[in-house]
Amino acid sequence: MGGLHAADPGRRHVPPGAALRVGIGGPVGSGKTELVACLCAALWPRLSMVAVTNDIFTREDAAILTRRAVLPVERIVGVQTGCCPHTAIRDDISENLDAVEALEARFAPDLVLVESGGDNLTATFSKALVDLQVFVIDVAGGDKVPRKGGPGITASDLLVVNKVDLAPFVGADLEVMARDAAAQRGSRPTVFVSLRQDPTAAPVVDLLLAALATWRAPG
Amino acid sequence: MQALLLLADGRFPAGGHAHSAGVEAAVADGRVTDLASLTAFAEGRLRTVGLVDAAVAMATATRLAPGQGWDLVLRLLDRLDAEVDARTPVPALRAASRRLGRQLLRVAGRCWPSPLLAVAANRGQDPHQAVALGLAGVAAALSVVDVGALSVHHCLTTPMQAGVRLLGLDPYAVVAVTAGLAEMAAAVVAEAATYADGPLGELPARSATLADIAAVAHGAADGRLFAT
Repeated sequence: MGGLHAADPGRRHVPPGAALRVGIGGPVGSGKTELVACLCAALWPRLSMVAVTNDIFTREDAAILTRRAVLPVERIVGVQTGCCPHTAIRDDISENLDAVEALEARFAPDLVLVESGGDNLTATFSKALVDLQVFVIDVAGGDKVPRKGGPGITASDLLVVNKVDLAPFVGADLEVMARDAAAQRGSRPTVFVSLRQDPTAAPVVDLLLAALATWRAPG
Repeated sequence: MQALLLLADGRFPAGGHAHSAGVEAAVADGRVTDLASLTAFAEGRLRTVGLVDAAVAMATATRLAPGQGWDLVLRLLDRLDAEVDARTPVPALRAASRRLGRQLLRVAGRCWPSPLLAVAANRGQDPHQAVALGLAGVAAALSVVDVGALSVHHCLTTPMQAGVRLLGLDPYAVVAVTAGLAEMAAAVVAEAATYADGPLGELPARSATLADIAAVAHGAADGRLFAT
C-alpha cells in the first residue's frame, strides 16, 4: 500500500505553514459525515481542525455533531451547493474557497476537512480547493463499485470502503472489492473499515497523520 | 467579445450557481409553482432589483477607468457600495451580494489582471456584486452597455435556472421564455443607462417587499439548497 502524497500538478499555490486541506467525497449514505466525525474525535484537539460541509446541512445534522461534541460548532461551516454538489467542489469552488479561507484566517488550523455533498462516482475535488482527496464508498452499495471506476475510485488519494461489517448481509465479496480497487488505483491506498464498529478510524487517521508530516516537511 | 461571453456564461466560476435569486424561498412558500409563476417572478425581479443592479453596475463602469488615481477609485467604490447598502434592506442579502462581489473579483483578477482589480481586492471590504461587475467590465474593456446587459442577463437566468433545478421544469420551455424576455431586458438596460452618469444618490431604489421578507426567512431555513 502506498502512502498519501499531496497532489502536485495543477495544485493551489500553497503559502508556507498552510493547513493541509483534505476533501472527503463519495455517494450518499456511504459514511462521509461519519468519517468526519470520527476524524475529529480522533485528532481534535491534538490538531487544530476545521470542517466545511457541503451536505444539505439540516438542523438535525448540526444537532448530531453538536451532541457528539466532536468539534466546537464555530469550527464547522456549511455551504450551499445550489442542487449541484459536484459543481461546488470542482467547477466553481467559490463558496467552498470562501468558507475554507475564512476558517483558516480565523483559526490557523493544521487540518481542513471539506466534506462534499453526497454525489456519484464521478465526483472529484478541484486541486485549487484541496490537497488530498478521500473517497468513501460502502459495501452495501455493491461489491461492483470499485470495478465501475470513475474519478472518485480511480483518482482519489485514499479510497475508504466503509461498513465492512455488512458484507455478509448484502452478499459483498471484500476480496473482489480489494482486488478491483488495486487494479483501478495502482499504488494509491485503499482501506477497509467499519466506522460503526471501530470509530477510531485508525487506518485513515494513520495515513492522514503521515501525509500531514510529509506536508509540513521542509523542501 | 470573448470577455463578454465568458462573463455571461453560467459556468464562469463566480459563485452564482449556489444562488436561486429568491426562487427557492418562493417555491417553498408556494408562490412559484410552474413556468408561468416562475416567469412572473423573474419579470418582477427584472423590473425591481434587476434595474437597480444594472444601474449600479453601469454607474460603476461609467465612473471607473484604468488610469485613475487610487484615492479616487477607493472613494468611488465606498460610495457605490453605500448606495447599494441603502437599497438592500435585508442584511442576509447585503452579505450575499458582498460575497458574490468578492467571488467575482477573485476570478476576474485572474482573467483580466489589472491594478484596478488589485486595488479593489485589497480595499479591506468586499464590493457588492453589481459594483464588482462594473469593475470586471472595466478591467475586461467592456462597454458600459455590455456591463448593463450582463447584469440583466444574470438577473434573469439565475432564477430561471434555479426553477429548472427545483421544479424539474422543461428546460427548453424555460430557456425559450427567457429568450422571449429579450425586449423587456433591453428596455431595462436602456432605463438603467439613463441613471449611469447621473448623481449616485439618484440611482433607482426599487425592491420587492415580499421577496425581501422571504429572504430573511430563507437565511435560517432548514435544509436549503441555495444560499439565497
